[in-house]
Amino acid sequence: MAVNTDKGLILIIDDEESIRDGCRQALEKSGHVVLTAENGKEGIRIARESKPEIAFVDLKMPSISGMEIIDILSRDIPDIVSIVITGYASIVSAVESMKKGAYDYLPKPFTPDQLRAVAKRGFEHRDLKMETKMLRDEKEQMEKNFITFVSHEMRSPLLVIEQYLEALRAVAGGCLDKDANDIVERCNKRIQGLKALVEHWLDISHIESGIFESEKNPVDISGIITRGVEEMAPLYHIRELSIETDISEGMPGVIGDEESLVRVLVNIMGNASKYTPDGGKVSIRARHDEYYVSISISDTGTGIPQEKLPFIFEPFYRVKGKQEETRGSGLGLNFCKRIMEAHGGKIEASSQVGKGTTFVLELPR
Amino acid sequence: MTAKKKILLIDDDRDFLMATKIILESGGYEVFLAEDGKSGVEMVKSVSPDLTITDMMMETWGEGFTVVSKIRSIEAGKDMPLIMLSGVDLQGPYQSFEPSEESPRVDLVLNKPVKADDFLKHVKRLLG
Repeated sequence: MAVNTDKGLILIIDDEESIRDGCRQALEKSGHVVLTAENGKEGIRIARESKPEIAFVDLKMPSISGMEIIDILSRDIPDIVSIVITGYASIVSAVESMKKGAYDYLPKPFTPDQLRAVAKRGFEHRDLKMETKMLRDEKEQMEKNFITFVSHEMRSPLLVIEQYLEALRAVAGGCLDKDANDIVERCNKRIQGLKALVEHWLDISHIESGIFESEKNPVDISGIITRGVEEMAPLYHIRELSIETDISEGMPGVIGDEESLVRVLVNIMGNASKYTPDGGKVSIRARHDEYYVSISISDTGTGIPQEKLPFIFEPFYRVKGKQEETRGSGLGLNFCKRIMEAHGGKIEASSQVGKGTTFVLELPR
Repeated sequence: MTAKKKILLIDDDRDFLMATKIILESGGYEVFLAEDGKSGVEMVKSVSPDLTITDMMMETWGEGFTVVSKIRSIEAGKDMPLIMLSGVDLQGPYQSFEPSEESPRVDLVLNKPVKADDFLKHVKRLLG
């Protein structure tokens, strides 16, 4: 059970009884509650139980060394401020322990005033640490709330507009002439674009907020390709684009999130269809070596000029000269890049104007 | 001439109600609107609709299911056909989100927005 105290709870871990008693007296004088332990094992037990704000740890002790104690304390109680007590001879190891997470050190012999000064600094440091943590938590919560907010506040009106357009079609569809119908169609197209933007943005926010991390499982590469191809088949059929797949034997799986990997493939295949003239071909090849699995998607499309290739994964970058019909969210490739990076993989593109573009997705096995 | 069939529409977005009402009226139905679950349940009693269409998420996730339970517990709503509309895409990550065995009976779940033609077809089928 945690000991309740306003002035701060301090734990002293030292095998010398005189040091423990001296420290206790000095620190109790300034109103602190002091717990003591004569060895590392007991010290760790008390620390886990009482969660002190500050721990003074003697570096040289039999059995568990001070260095190990600090290591365990900072792992078990991330908010704890550890301070090393050390003889003059072991300043080097004091510095070493600070690298391991100790905040400060107190060389022996020390006066009660020195001890209190170091403790005071320790508490100030702890306050700052707690404040930083609180602000960070607040920021994370705000980000999460913002995602929820956007998802609701942006999707809802779009959905209503779509529904109104449907209503318009239902009541006046027959009376609209070609021009009026075109206007409705254009509204619809732009809404779809905006919806895609919101969805991509949400996907990216999910990756950034770490929600994505918890959804990794073994994934079958040919399964991803099959799903991607199935999803794109109707569009490819309309555009008379052929799809060729070539998956090497004994394709190993990867660890990841199947849904997002399918989204990546669908995005790239969607792009390929936008820039490939009717009757063209898109080839998907999957290969592997000892360490990596790679999927390449090649089209016979218009290609991307060399000087523009380095920017295509940037958010909202658009290759100019595009037809309006092919307008996307501007986040698709950035989404793909982030998904690949979240899998410890990468995405690369190569292209030849007039011949076509190849995207390569690489994932660690 | 037979009387128009009555459809009750429950959704917390007034514009969505209006747009959907227009679609349903174009199909020749008389449409009643409720902007929250509570008044929706009251209207099932007072109007005795032939069909009710309710949003899945009002105020809280799954509020629509509470509304459906309440409707099913009253005489006028016990055997009435019921459509649930979801603003969440039931594909992808949410495909596993389906009413469980214990959930009250829903005749059809559709994603928002609804295509006018499909929607009217479903409504017609459910009204027999």
